[in-house]
Amino acid sequence: MKTSLKWAVVLAALGGILTTLAFVGAFTYARMQTNGTVNLPPAVARQVIADSKNGFPLAPPAQQPSSPNLLAVQKPWFSQKIFFFHVPLAVASLLVFTIAAIFSVLFLVKRKKSYDTRSRIAMEATLVFIIGTMISGDLWTRASWGVWWEWEPRLTTYAIMTLLVIAYFVLRNSVEDEERRAVYAAVFSIFAWVDAPVTFLITRILPSTHPTLTGLETSNLIPFMVGMAGMCMLGFAIYELRFNEVHLHERLDALKDDLEG
Amino acid sequence: MPYEDKVLTRKSKADKGSGDRMGSGTVLSSGDKTVPDPILSPDPLSTQRPKISSWRQFKAILRKDIVMELRTKEMITSMGLYALLVLIIYYVALSQAGTNFDVSRISAGLLLLAIVFTSMLGLNRSLVHEQDQGQLDALLLSPIDRPILFLGKAVTNFIFLAIVEVIITPLFYFIFMGNAHTSQMGPLWMVALALLLGSIGIAGVGTLLATMSVNTKGKDFVLAVIFIPLMFPLLLAVVTALNAVILGNPDATTVFWRFAGIAFGYDVITIAIAWALYEFILGV
Repeated sequence: MKTSLKWAVVLAALGGILTTLAFVGAFTYARMQTNGTVNLPPAVARQVIADSKNGFPLAPPAQQPSSPNLLAVQKPWFSQKIFFFHVPLAVASLLVFTIAAIFSVLFLVKRKKSYDTRSRIAMEATLVFIIGTMISGDLWTRASWGVWWEWEPRLTTYAIMTLLVIAYFVLRNSVEDEERRAVYAAVFSIFAWVDAPVTFLITRILPSTHPTLTGLETSNLIPFMVGMAGMCMLGFAIYELRFNEVHLHERLDALKDDLEG
Repeated sequence: MPYEDKVLTRKSKADKGSGDRMGSGTVLSSGDKTVPDPILSPDPLSTQRPKISSWRQFKAILRKDIVMELRTKEMITSMGLYALLVLIIYYVALSQAGTNFDVSRISAGLLLLAIVFTSMLGLNRSLVHEQDQGQLDALLLSPIDRPILFLGKAVTNFIFLAIVEVIITPLFYFIFMGNAHTSQMGPLWMVALALLLGSIGIAGVGTLLATMSVNTKGKDFVLAVIFIPLMFPLLLAVVTALNAVILGNPDATTVFWRFAGIAFGYDVITIAIAWALYEFILGV
């Protein structure tokens, strides 16, 4: 077995374990975040606060209702748990996209066919992670913002990235000549990659309602970082494993051609 | 593995200094569908001649396209007519909007939409020409530097787009905004500047993408699929800037300059990338 393949298998296993750990940690270790308050009769409110060890605290005095018959309890923010997967998925998609762009540049310089294959496989992995990001993000916007979609800078730039990755495959499938297809795809993916840093930095440049990673408390930060590491490993491992498979196929085809030829 | 080391060689340095014969009748007479023979068989003596200046190469490309357009009048006619038809469809779409509807609120978007569709038609046509009549091959054999070739094509595309814009923007104004509330509208040069920034980006990136898409199976479709997402930031910036000028809100000047700046930045970055990448897609 090739060394790169061994590493890919190890990374896939490790990434899978870490992602699972992050999943479990997100629901056990991470403290429940709150979003808004709910007014309850005092007896019910005290019962809720006593029953839940992990959150549902009493709201601060400023948020308490004026009526003495009601007590405000902070609402648990369940949809926030999506964050532990959505962000790692998005970061992994940018990671494999960057791999695709790097191999596109290498292909244009060296013109080796395997670089083109690497770039294409990385793009496929990008598409998978982009779809994951889009689905988890959509669930979150529906739960937290009450809409399925909003034309907000981060969402907009990421949607463009989705379209660009889809366009990459449309372009590839529409060119018949092998070398021409590889060159066009490389040129286009370099162009498309420009959107990756833009979508990463846009929430820091333009006013945006998309949350940014600031002031994460430790109990949330640890499962998040574990998930981040796991998902990036998984992203790289998926790319590497798939590349090895396709590469073997292509070598087999080349050998078959040689035998027949 | 033979497969592994499959390396494509391209662009030999030798073809750069092979004389100055591209200046005269050869490539220019493309109207008659035959590429003259001399350009396909380089003259060994010609390598000793001095290199032609970039400016002359650029002028030659520009002249070729303009002469060709003057003979056929194909680009301007098709683009102009298409833009006019888009305006007519706008009329149909807006015909039931009622008298209270203020068209000026969406006119920036409508105008840009017409320009984008027209430009895609034009970009496609301008490179289909090159492809059909074997001109691109002839151009590649000629001693023209690749970046100059890109610049020449992009500038001709820009010129045709600008001509069409000069025709349809006043038309759009008279058809749709004749009795709109335009008293607030900002100065005309701001509209022109916003359209100029938009057209530069469209022509620059569009030339690269159209050069790719003419070599694909689904020419126009592929151009639309790869062109629109890449253009998105520019279109958004131009529409915002145009809208600010047309509506003339108190903060119009600030908004205009901010988004004109974004459009300018987009143009600079993407044209630099297109410039750098153009030579890769030629001759494969």
